[in-house]
Amino acid sequence: MPADAISAKFDVRRWDAVAGGAPRYQRYELELAPHTPILSALLRIRDEVDPSLTLRYSCRSAICGSCAMQINSKSRLACETQVGPEMDRHGRIVVEPMRNQPVLRDLVVDQSPFWTQYDRIEPHLKLDPAHPMPEGRPTSMTPEQVERFKETPRCIACAACYSACPAVEADAAFPGPMALAKLYRFVVDPRDHATQDRLVRIQPNGLWLCLRCHLCTEACPKDVRPSERIRDLKEMAIAVQGGTERGSRHAIGFKENIEDRGLLSEAKLVRQTYGAAGMIGQLPQGLRIWRKKPEVLHKPRRIEGADELDRIYEALDRESEGAP
Amino acid sequence: MLKHEVVVVGAGLAGQRAALAAREAGRDVAIVSKLHPLRSHSGAAQGGINAALGAEDSVDTHIYDTVKGSDYLGDQDAIEFFCREAGPTVVEMEHFGTVFSRSPDGSLARRAFGGAGFPRTIYAADRTGLALLQGLWERLGIEQFTLYNEWDLMRLVVRDGRVQGLVVFDRIHGIFEEIAAKSVVLATGPAGRIYGRTTNAHTCTGDGIAVAYDAGAFVKDMEFVQFHPTALLESSILITEGARGEGGILKNATGERFMTRYAPHVLELASRDVVSRAIVTEVAEGRGFSGPYGGYVHLELMHLGREKIESRLQEICDFSRHFAGIDPVREPIPVYPAQHYMMGGIGTNIRGATNLAGVFAAGEAACVSIHGANRLGGNSLLETLVFGQQAGKAAAEYAAGAPATQLRAADLEAVETPLRAWSSRPDGEDPARLRTEMQQTMERYAGIYRNEADLFEGLKRIRALRARFERIRVVDASKVYNLNLTDAVEVGHMLELAEIIFVGAYARTESRGAHARTDFPKRDDAKWMRHTMAEKGPEGPRLSYTPVAFTRWEPKERVY
Amino acid sequence: MKLAYYPGCVAQESGRELDMATRWVCRALEIELVEFPSFSCCGSGFVDEANEVLNLAINSRNLAIAERAGLDLLTICSTCQGMLTLANVRRRDPAVRARVDAALKPIGIEYRDSVHVKHLLRVLTEDVGLDAIRSRVRRPLAGLRVGAFYGCHLLRPADEMGWESGEEPHAFEDLLGAIGATPVDYRGRVLCCGFPIQFVKPDTASRIAGRQILDAKSHGAHAMATPCPLCHISLDAYQNQAERAVQQPLDMPIFHLPQVVGLALGATPEELGLARHLVPTEPALARIGSSSL
Repeated sequence: MPADAISAKFDVRRWDAVAGGAPRYQRYELELAPHTPILSALLRIRDEVDPSLTLRYSCRSAICGSCAMQINSKSRLACETQVGPEMDRHGRIVVEPMRNQPVLRDLVVDQSPFWTQYDRIEPHLKLDPAHPMPEGRPTSMTPEQVERFKETPRCIACAACYSACPAVEADAAFPGPMALAKLYRFVVDPRDHATQDRLVRIQPNGLWLCLRCHLCTEACPKDVRPSERIRDLKEMAIAVQGGTERGSRHAIGFKENIEDRGLLSEAKLVRQTYGAAGMIGQLPQGLRIWRKKPEVLHKPRRIEGADELDRIYEALDRESEGAP
Repeated sequence: MLKHEVVVVGAGLAGQRAALAAREAGRDVAIVSKLHPLRSHSGAAQGGINAALGAEDSVDTHIYDTVKGSDYLGDQDAIEFFCREAGPTVVEMEHFGTVFSRSPDGSLARRAFGGAGFPRTIYAADRTGLALLQGLWERLGIEQFTLYNEWDLMRLVVRDGRVQGLVVFDRIHGIFEEIAAKSVVLATGPAGRIYGRTTNAHTCTGDGIAVAYDAGAFVKDMEFVQFHPTALLESSILITEGARGEGGILKNATGERFMTRYAPHVLELASRDVVSRAIVTEVAEGRGFSGPYGGYVHLELMHLGREKIESRLQEICDFSRHFAGIDPVREPIPVYPAQHYMMGGIGTNIRGATNLAGVFAAGEAACVSIHGANRLGGNSLLETLVFGQQAGKAAAEYAAGAPATQLRAADLEAVETPLRAWSSRPDGEDPARLRTEMQQTMERYAGIYRNEADLFEGLKRIRALRARFERIRVVDASKVYNLNLTDAVEVGHMLELAEIIFVGAYARTESRGAHARTDFPKRDDAKWMRHTMAEKGPEGPRLSYTPVAFTRWEPKERVY
Repeated sequence: MKLAYYPGCVAQESGRELDMATRWVCRALEIELVEFPSFSCCGSGFVDEANEVLNLAINSRNLAIAERAGLDLLTICSTCQGMLTLANVRRRDPAVRARVDAALKPIGIEYRDSVHVKHLLRVLTEDVGLDAIRSRVRRPLAGLRVGAFYGCHLLRPADEMGWESGEEPHAFEDLLGAIGATPVDYRGRVLCCGFPIQFVKPDTASRIAGRQILDAKSHGAHAMATPCPLCHISLDAYQNQAERAVQQPLDMPIFHLPQVVGLALGATPEELGLARHLVPTEPALARIGSSSL
């Protein structure tokens, strides 16, 4: 035992779907070096203290994606999270199963919701019979084309992002960060010939439910940055299809809304997103707010230099028109 | 009872490729895997996959390098086939969707690897295994097949001269099942966890090899265990050979680049067995560093510069930072050899067939043999795909011509009854304890350097552990994901394989490739140019020997 | 201290109480606010969805305006803070920078990366300092248990926002402690308020808002406080819908950050515009000075 060993306290959530009953938190205490991975600590508990504690694990080097769990409420790989910083910050280490997937036992969850969403994006290359793969040789792809994948090929499907996602938690229809990052990987793949179709089909109950809260990007152990790739997909989806969904209409509407005067006109935005007819449904809530905050119906002032804004819009619209 | 034409056990690259081949042949296919296919240990392979695609390179050079690397124990007919398939295999994986690293001209980028005459290793940064695993799983996803996810292989039922099916354990529900199968492909990977220091995942417990051996299969060349020279100290996490391929160098505590003394021509890129022995020798002779986790040497990357390190060796940057608190851009990485690969496995021919009719094997669980006494870096990923495909095709053909198979209730009971006894004992042996003692025994007595006395003592100890295993006890009573039970099963498998390693190593009185006997330091072609075949007997493994296949290359002394 | 004041759109219209409270607090703490009628909307994350470079360009214009005056920028909205910071951070990519600069050049704007973008929460906890605030407290919020609700864009992505931990921040709780309130620890404090999809799928948005309020409430919060007026809309103006989504009454007063600080520094409810809230704040105000938990 190294000289800098600390006394680590683990509170591990225990539950068994067959045995039922109420979950309980079991306390384990171990003397450990601060850099000890939490997975190593849990395996020591299994080997030396309590063989009934159960969890998924395999590679212990953050490449198999098995050991994602909640560590002091953060979705993390246990193998990559060290004991010391958690003890420093919280005085104990609360270990719980991932969220958004039913618990089977202790730290093991049923991952079928996660895999179902993965399947939804049809995660395989879609080829065009008119453009077959080159016979007997690899496709040509430049390093710049590989760059466009960003970090998405690093995804290890650990589901930490899925566990951390509040949109998944509130709405099971949402594909979740991993599936969308995977979709991005196919959308930018020069070998794939279904880009447009993919971008159209992922919009209803898909892309536009992302809250851009970036919790997935914090949770991701491989720096895939799903929230940023979802943003990329949104922009591409608008480029392909324009404002056919409430989400895309809202984004486009917002962009156009502020071009006008430089500041947001709240009432106009509602009209842009819902359309004139759809606004009727918003009336009761609008009235409630208006009574306390009559400015919701104000037209904002026009900022000084609003023409500068116009010209920025023009320059970048021109640029995007010129883009491939 | 469940029933399929072809059942593939294990869903890493070999298993998935076999399943795809069997599907392409039109068979009804099921995959049984104790972990989700994308979590397979294939995904941990970092460095790359060999294929002689460069203009200056040739298939013949790849063959020669592999033959020489094997220390002339590889079967040359198999190696020739293997190397010829390399190009088409890599191209196919590219077409499946694998995202490889590229050269500026749009071709597949290549890097230098140990023991290779040319930069021949195609890669995807330093996560080639993951890239291939994703590409293949995505391609396989188009096919119809049944996945029995998180099911453990317990027993292979061989009767009337052929396979009838298998008995499996569903971890999630805690129940045993029978699956009737006309043919079975075992692609369950290695048994690296027999050792304490290993780069292998915790799940690499040799289940398929042990189960096949129990069913009467020959297990081949198990004494040849590869130690990777550069595993991260303490955790033994792999630091890819690609790190040396990119220009990383090894230094001892005196600051000397010691490989100049062991392999003056190719230095750090000598064959793995050579570099591993050099490091062990440096530490043993007092020129290594020492600390609470034992002796070690330094792997230096600093001179490569931040940009190269962070772009081409991204994962190992993360490993070093997260698991050792070391920033390879600024400081050397502490490394020491660790068990990495098993050249041996279930004996097969080029088509993956074993001595049991209807039973096929591929990948690290199998031994064709193309790696002989020592595997070259970049050849294992290729092996999984080339021979996975062969085994899948052969299994499909066999299944197409095979009559219906039959399992009996007694087949399941033969598995379940003793296991129930494990759980009902009031006291007995703890699986974790037996595992620890086994790992210590392997480290101490069957490591990089071996001798008669050690091997004799180690075998004695493993047999004592096997005797204790008869009284194994499972204390966890849960039906759900009972790791205490699967641990016990896995320890049983590993102890069986440990015994085979000792028996084979004890008998082989020479040094060849990864098998280094200090009491027999020379290669002895006259006596030992042959494969060890182990068969289960009442008193333990019965050894016999088969000749090595030669085509064009005469054995020479191996110098790097 | 003198800062370029970037109020954002909402505080200039339906969220005027936030502007009122900010001005009151800054006056009390001798922070001079310099106004620029040329500041535009930050795009609120929606422009970023439609056109990333456009979003960076309009915010680079905002930053350039502050730069010309030689001032750092004060924001009072988590989303404004996020978008303006992104404009600083994403410029580190030379390709992005070139496109942004090309769009600004024709209007004679050049941004030279010198402006620090600081949210009021950071100015209060770091520049003014907790000790200085503690010394000016005239009415400690003793007895009031407050759930801080950060707003995503203030924190994340943490490596780009470059301030607090993305998942375990503590600045707001530290501040609440300094003004005598009792911060409530609950998971929802760093989660989303639902606002970004309020227009896309209102039921889901309301469920998200409702869960966070419920979480704070179940941990004993008497009130919540947020540094983001968009979160305030979700949590306050739409709380009735959140109640419907979680099928129970919430009755959770929601304060803007400078309102809780202002109360402690001695401002009246009128000066802080508390009457403009949809959920009455009186039950929370009544607790101040009581020691009941």
